[in-house]
Amino acid sequence: MIHLRVQPDGPKNLRITGIDPVVLDSLFALPEILELRDKPAARDRLLPVPTADNEALNADWQQNVTPDLRHLFVTASETVLRDLTGVEPDPRAKQLQQLTFPAEHLNAWLSAVNQARLILGELHHVTEADMANADFNLAEPRDLALLRIHVLGYLLEYLVKISGSDETSL
Amino acid sequence: MPNPGTIHIEETATDAALDQPWNVIVHNDPINLMSYVTLVFMRVFGYPRERAERHMLEVHQKGRSLVWSGGREQAEHYVHQLHSYQLLAQMEQAS
Repeated sequence: MIHLRVQPDGPKNLRITGIDPVVLDSLFALPEILELRDKPAARDRLLPVPTADNEALNADWQQNVTPDLRHLFVTASETVLRDLTGVEPDPRAKQLQQLTFPAEHLNAWLSAVNQARLILGELHHVTEADMANADFNLAEPRDLALLRIHVLGYLLEYLVKISGSDETSL
Repeated sequence: MPNPGTIHIEETATDAALDQPWNVIVHNDPINLMSYVTLVFMRVFGYPRERAERHMLEVHQKGRSLVWSGGREQAEHYVHQLHSYQLLAQMEQAS
């Protein structure tokens, strides 16, 4: 049973509650996953070129834009990893944890959680068919990666929902 | 030596090529959430939710969606924005 929730905690904070051991594993795996961003496959996915065949534009992009995007991704990751140090027992339920972080970090969370999912997906060659599979053998690294993609996706859905509540005014 | 008329035609062709709009295309991937892609389209382009969802579904079902067309500089800006949200976006000059 999944207890995970993300809700406002006053005007300036968000709180993730109901962090069970499976979710906690995925959260605490974020540092090691995000460290893999410079593996060639992960890098190609996170920092793609802007055209299929315009070599001049692609080269210019890689020289002038790619470093900025990488810096953006690293900065978001660092923000989330700092927030993760605030994980604490959830007072409402045994064996569950909670985490409160500044609402202004929401975009960093969106970025870092999505980066981690994409990195895992790319390094483990995850397909649409794999994403429909919910039968995991956690002794297999690829299945563990798939589980983490799903768990982080569940968290991301909540982050998107909270973020989306501000978008209707656009 | 080409006559002035020929030169004029060549220049017109070049100008026409430069004036061709650039299309911003978003490609499907197996990982990005549908809700996340919709949110990004709303944020980057300011699209209302219905239009953002329409493009998201086109990406999901057809593999790609043309999400914007226009000048090169603005197309580069949008691709940059979409990449900052980790969507697979490319720009291509309309034929």
